[in-house]
Order: sequence, then C-alpha cells, then structure tokens
Amino acid sequence: MSADGEFKIVFTGPMGAGKTTAIATISDDAPVSTDVLNNDHATFDKESTTAGLDYGRIVVDGEMAVRLYGTPGQNRFKFMWEILSHGAAGIIILIDASQADAIVQLEYFVDVFGRGKSVPIVVGIGRTGQPGSLAIDAFSVRLENHGLALPIFGVDVRQRADVLLLVDTLLCMVEAPADARLRA
Amino acid sequence: MTTAPCFGRVASGVAQKQLEALFGATPGVVSAVLMSADGFEVVSMQVGKGSAGRLAAMGSSLTAIGSAIAREAGIVECQRMIIEAQNGTVVIMQVPSAKPPMSLAVVSNTESSLGQLLWAAKNCCAAIGKAFKE
Repeated sequence: MSADGEFKIVFTGPMGAGKTTAIATISDDAPVSTDVLNNDHATFDKESTTAGLDYGRIVVDGEMAVRLYGTPGQNRFKFMWEILSHGAAGIIILIDASQADAIVQLEYFVDVFGRGKSVPIVVGIGRTGQPGSLAIDAFSVRLENHGLALPIFGVDVRQRADVLLLVDTLLCMVEAPADARLRA
Repeated sequence: MTTAPCFGRVASGVAQKQLEALFGATPGVVSAVLMSADGFEVVSMQVGKGSAGRLAAMGSSLTAIGSAIAREAGIVECQRMIIEAQNGTVVIMQVPSAKPPMSLAVVSNTESSLGQLLWAAKNCCAAIGKAFKE
C-alpha cells in the first residue's frame, strides 16, 4: 500500500490479452491510454497496441482505492514492466487461451513477474471458448508441474464482474499474512 | 519471437540519408534512431543493433506517454520531448505526416547547442515525413 493508502496493482500479459480493455472495463474514471498504431500484425492482428502504459483507478467496497496500471505486452517494452511493477502490491496476468503458445506465455510472465519476489499473482485466462483454445485446467496443471499454485480464472475482460473477481482475489491475497500466500 | 515489420526500402533509404546529413551538419550529435510509434527501429545512425532496438522501444513509450499527458492537460498533441542530462541531451520529435506514425530520437553530447539541435532535428523530421507521407 502506498503512503496515501492506495493499492497499486499491475495488469500484464502478452500482446492482445486484453489488459487495456480490462482496465477500461472497471476504472471509475476515464482510463489513461497510450495506444498507438500496431505495425506487427504477424504477432497479433489488431489495429492498436499499448506503447507506454494504461492507467485507471477504482474504489472497492466504497473505501479501498486501487490504482490500476497496465503494461505493454511485447518483450521489447520489458523496461516498462520493471518501471510499472515497482511498488506493486500484486500482479494480474492475462493470457489469451486461443494463442498457440498461451501456456508458454503464462510460464514466461509468471517467471518474469514472480521469480524471487513475494508479490501475489492472479491469472485470468481469456477466450477459452474459442475453437482450439486450451482449457483452464491445462494452465493450472502446467503451473502445478512447476510447483506453483496460483488462482486461475476464466475471464471475459469486457465483463466488469469478471475483472473485479480478479482484483478482489488479488486484494484478498495482498491482505493475507505473507506466509499464507500462494507464491509464484 | 517478433519480426520487425518492413517500412519501405525507398523511404527508409531517404531517412538514412537524412540522418547522415543531420550528423554531418550538427555539432555534438552522437546517435539517432528513427522509430515507429509501436517501438520498432526504422533506421539508425551510430547505435549498436541491440541498443537501437532498445532506444526505439523506449522512445516510442516516451512519445506515447507524452501524448497522453498532452491530451490530459488539454494541450492537444505532444510534438517533442527534451531530456537534458549531465553529459548530453536527447530530443525525441514526432515526424509530421509520416505513415505509419514515427518519431526521431537524437542523442547529443555537451558540444551541442540545444537550439541548433532542435532546428536540425525539426528539419530532418520534415524531410523524413515527406518520404513517408505516402
């Protein structure tokens, strides 16, 4: 928690996972976006992509203010991951289950944001209903194989209730005693 | 693994010539990178391959954040940013009319004069913008 009593949490995950949409879906105020034209249609075919950060803010249960930061998803913006995760109370990793390398992406982001740190992590898996998408169990099993037990939820980042479930779960982990937390 | 997109050989060639002219005519310039808005190196001068990619990504993030701050402040669009450090200056400038959108980052040492650097970078961006207009 910051000096002014607000929590900072970070949404991260690969390009196209829905980080910008998730923050826009739950932010009480108009979110700050740094979307620019996407030239890399080979990696993900969409119009725009985040080059700097996303920012939003919500008040949970009428009293707890939470600052929401979103990272760019591409590896070339890794320096922003370090900047944005500094001082974060927790991390939400979003993954697109319809991507062929979705499990590898999850392992990578859990490793980058979790290794050697005690920061709580919650995982949201999107587009699980699309043809060819992996089931949520596949992600859980892979993490368990690495000795990791993280909360994993299916999520539609356009649905406020879905995104709030991720945030609420993360805040519960943040407030739990450190030795009772699930760790990455 | 991401493969950098192609930005057009002719226009990129023009841009490379413009960077060379910038180097030749402006004291103190030590490196420069032309970058796409989403952080890819288009052309560069005097920067190692890995460093050019990193500088392109960082420059595009700064440009995007600068634009967001300008919009938030109601002053419409960020046109340039100046980082003044102990041993030099970095100017990041939007390239007008370029398609796709681009910015130019120019790094200089203490031998440069800020006014001269801004003037030269602005002229360079104008010429590059013409090359990438179509």
